[in-house]
Amino acid sequence: MLNVNNLNAFYGEFHVLKDVALSVEEGQVVVMLGPNGHGKSTLLKAICGLAGKVNGEVIYQGQNIKGMAAQKLVNMGITYIAENRELFPYMSVMDNLKLGAYSKNARAKEKENLEKVFSLFPRLVDRKKQVASTMSGGEARMLAIARGLMSNADFLCIDEPSLGLQPSLRLEVFKTIKEINRQGKTVLLVEQNIPQITELADKIYVLEEGQISFEGDKDEALSNDHLKEIFLGL
Amino acid sequence: MLIEIIDVSISGLLNGSVYALMAIGLALVYGVTKAFNFAYGSFYNMGGYFAWVLLISLGMKGGYYTVFFTAVPFLFIVGFILEKALVSPLRKRADWEMKVMMLTLGLGLFLDIGYIVVFGPRLKSLPEIVEGTTSIGELVFLNQDIVIFIISITGLLCFAWILNNTRVGMAVQAVAQNPAGAQIVGIPKDFIFAATFAISTVMVGLGGILLCQKNFVIPQASWPIMIKAWVITAFGGMGSIRGSLYAAFIIGMLEAFVGYTLGLIYIDIAILTLLLITLALRPQGLMGKE
Repeated sequence: MLNVNNLNAFYGEFHVLKDVALSVEEGQVVVMLGPNGHGKSTLLKAICGLAGKVNGEVIYQGQNIKGMAAQKLVNMGITYIAENRELFPYMSVMDNLKLGAYSKNARAKEKENLEKVFSLFPRLVDRKKQVASTMSGGEARMLAIARGLMSNADFLCIDEPSLGLQPSLRLEVFKTIKEINRQGKTVLLVEQNIPQITELADKIYVLEEGQISFEGDKDEALSNDHLKEIFLGL
Repeated sequence: MLIEIIDVSISGLLNGSVYALMAIGLALVYGVTKAFNFAYGSFYNMGGYFAWVLLISLGMKGGYYTVFFTAVPFLFIVGFILEKALVSPLRKRADWEMKVMMLTLGLGLFLDIGYIVVFGPRLKSLPEIVEGTTSIGELVFLNQDIVIFIISITGLLCFAWILNNTRVGMAVQAVAQNPAGAQIVGIPKDFIFAATFAISTVMVGLGGILLCQKNFVIPQASWPIMIKAWVITAFGGMGSIRGSLYAAFIIGMLEAFVGYTLGLIYIDIAILTLLLITLALRPQGLMGKE
């Protein structure tokens, strides 16, 4: 579904991504692990048309989408869900969700997706009228994911969904992502901590200093000594 | 005495309505793009000269109906093109907010001098939008003022409706609240910036038509209007639309009462004193966010 080749990204003078290659098959959950500040977010943003200068190849369903504007990509079914959520702080939950369905492709299915989102996140139903900035961290995270689903995307790029959440909420978010995947969405997810997230993954990549340093399934990841060392401190 | 107070209040309300129309446009642009539009006052005069060209120079039929129906699309297109051609390219550069201010300052001066070159330095008068007076009891209104009030309030209501009930309006709010979030959900940010600039051009240009037909069209009118709109937005809270709405009516009232009690020359000093005190005590203005 998605193939990335020789992807290079720069942040000013700084070379953030160096010849990154990865592939995601339809229906998979692919997890990209890596320490903070090694380019994971930039990679997702580069795929979603939100990063600045990018070189290389990003093929989505046979089409090179590198350099396309974010609004086009959203309409093609690729959505970015930000680690810092990027909600509209002074709007209600409902208005945030409606704006999630801004693209043409999403507009037609707004009602249907709203029902799906409310069944995934029943807590949002009671909070339809609540202003986004007054929500707790966990709820805001759910709203960010829900807003992303409203775009009717087939391919979700989720940036550190567990960031800042307590362990029980973290598990709940991971469970929801699994459910979203079961409903047919392909997921490329970025995370820092390994043990809980490996349960979800069909494939794991590790990104260190802007380069892919590991690629494999969860058993390979869990038995890899280098990964144990950097992520589990073993 | 009472009748005079009512009379002065009504004139304050009237000032407030047209100030609100103009100042909210300025607050909108600042709120969405975070850059100040210093050419704003010159778009006021664009409205005035547009009406003059249509009514006097070309002698178009339909009078002010024609003027308003053509001014709205004309001002929108001019605003949209200027944003795309001049402001938008700057946004890709570092420190672009400052560059936009410099550029719009230049644009404002260019337009003002352009008006002098094209139309000459002397004032031009427009026909009154309606003539005559209406009296209710002891109160006497100029029909002209009633029309200014109705059009300003209608303009404000249309604006509020567009902002809260249309896709574009919601997208404008989304960009104002979180540009990164807006991009994520697929809102074309550049289009929204240009549309916002264009809407604000329409608002101040309509204010220009309304006030120029009451006063005159003069090229020097741009800066007093710019200053007034700026004082209102700064007093109300930069970028806050609700704040500008309240501020416009407060300033309108203050003007009317200071003019009535102390005399016209004290109006500007009173307004600026209010602004300075407000900003000293509450730098974010009445309803601005810190």
